[in-house]
Amino acid sequence: MSDDQRDAGSPPPTPSKGVRPAGPPSTGEDDARSAERRQEGRRSSERRPTTIRRAIRDELADDTTDEYYAETHPQEHRVTPVIEVDHVYLGFDRPILEDVSLEARKGETICLVGESGTGKSTMLKLILRLLIPDRGAVCIHGEDITDLTFEEALEARQHMGMVFQSAALFDSMTVFENVAYPLREHTKLDDDEIEERVREKLAFVDLDPDQVMSQLPSQLSGGMRKRVGIARGMANNPEIMLYDEPTSGLDPLSTGTITRLIMKLQRELDVTSVVVSHDIRSVFRMATRVAVLNERRIVFFGSPEEMAATDDKYLRDFLGGS
Amino acid sequence: MPAFAERFADASRHKLRSVQEYFSLAGKALRFAFVRPFYAQDLIQQMDEIGVKSLGIVLLTGFFTGMVLALQSSVQMAQFGATMYIGRLVTGSMIRELGPVLAGLMVAGRVGSGIAAQLGSMRVTEQIDALNTLGTDPIKKLVTPRVLAALIMLPVLTVINDVVGIIGGNLISTLMVGVPSGVYWRTVWEQIASGGFTFRVIPNDFIQGLIKPFVFGGIISITACYFGINTTGGTEGVGQSTTRTVVLSSILILVVDYFLTQILLSVLAV
Repeated sequence: MSDDQRDAGSPPPTPSKGVRPAGPPSTGEDDARSAERRQEGRRSSERRPTTIRRAIRDELADDTTDEYYAETHPQEHRVTPVIEVDHVYLGFDRPILEDVSLEARKGETICLVGESGTGKSTMLKLILRLLIPDRGAVCIHGEDITDLTFEEALEARQHMGMVFQSAALFDSMTVFENVAYPLREHTKLDDDEIEERVREKLAFVDLDPDQVMSQLPSQLSGGMRKRVGIARGMANNPEIMLYDEPTSGLDPLSTGTITRLIMKLQRELDVTSVVVSHDIRSVFRMATRVAVLNERRIVFFGSPEEMAATDDKYLRDFLGGS
Repeated sequence: MPAFAERFADASRHKLRSVQEYFSLAGKALRFAFVRPFYAQDLIQQMDEIGVKSLGIVLLTGFFTGMVLALQSSVQMAQFGATMYIGRLVTGSMIRELGPVLAGLMVAGRVGSGIAAQLGSMRVTEQIDALNTLGTDPIKKLVTPRVLAALIMLPVLTVINDVVGIIGGNLISTLMVGVPSGVYWRTVWEQIASGGFTFRVIPNDFIQGLIKPFVFGGIISITACYFGINTTGGTEGVGQSTTRTVVLSSILILVVDYFLTQILLSVLAV
């Protein structure tokens, strides 16, 4: 990105993965692909010269999420949805979701975006079966979970990890006890095995186990609390991870750390993820597909590239004004 | 239907639903006491929180209530030359009424508000949702141990309240009224024996004095848990839940006490 292309209000380039630094080492093939994308993005940018869209384009040029996904997931895996939300309707006093359909295949990271109050977090609650739709089905590995009893739903949730907006750590427990909680509840691991697993998970989220294990959540920073939340969510080695605005309220560095962690989970552990986020930059870095909710419906479901190239006025406005 | 009638119908439906949810919560909390997994450590922790940590306030209120009872009754009974019966009056009042009710009100203020605030905070910071997503039933983990602990500890606190109240009465009647200590304790026993015995050994006064705090313990803990886990509206909501818990628990204790007394008097025929 040249200086004349960058608006005054745009964030400065950093050596992080988000914005490509000058002269990075790369293969010729990567360069060709990136150049093609940049060319495509440039044409799009000429039509809609906005700061955020340029930033998004750069994110896409630098990330390899979709290529990685294609390489690591054979065709048969790619067509089998792990999570399937099928024509779901939900309402309480007023309609909240109408005819919403969505699917996530193994190892995918689906990002749910949309304005506040459009039902994004409600979608996560449907997948967790904390809510039951009025109509439609929510299937996990092809099994409809809407008919499960309360006890069966509790068991089904043990195969999912959830990271809350506020981290939702149990404030009366230490970090160790928080991460060990699902292991003590649902496994027969002995104390040594639990400690080993807790240390492993804390190290995975780039925390020093010896330093944080005995601390209370109130003694941690916001970013560290979120990382402990991720460690707790993945303690049981779930196949599905759900994130409710994991980067909200964090500084840019912590936002980058959390985003990288979510991508690391996908790449190293092949976890299927659904992420609710308002942070478009992070979404474009980690999503294999993006779903946009507006007025109770999904108005877009496709790859980040397709979203960046769309001519839809609402999506253009949503991505940063036209 | 006129607008006001519609609003009234809506409000009534809402209240009825709340009552239904209240009893549903009570039923689930008690049922889960017999379903695995048992959270024994949580139960012990709550017994400490509800029972041991309330000991100071209960000792203080019991002791001074006994003393003031003795003092007031001495003035009245002196007119009939019956000051030697102060022990009977203090004992009857403490064991049957003041012990259970005062312990209940004190625990409602101290423990009920604490439970509502704690569960309310857990609700607004998504910790209760987190329990759910980690495959734990929040009622089993949070409500059942608190209800069981209150059911166990409130009768214990009441007995302690009764004992220190009677000791307080003894102190005043001996030091200020001039009733010999031996006479006081003899009248205390006469009062206990006068109510009759169940199974020949258990004084009916004790039964009455222990059934009431058992019921009050249930009222306090379920009311606090109900308002706590249904908290909405952030920190302001937590404050409202706490206030509602103390107000409703206190009112229910006094109202239920009357009806319970009626029932127990007719059943135990004292």
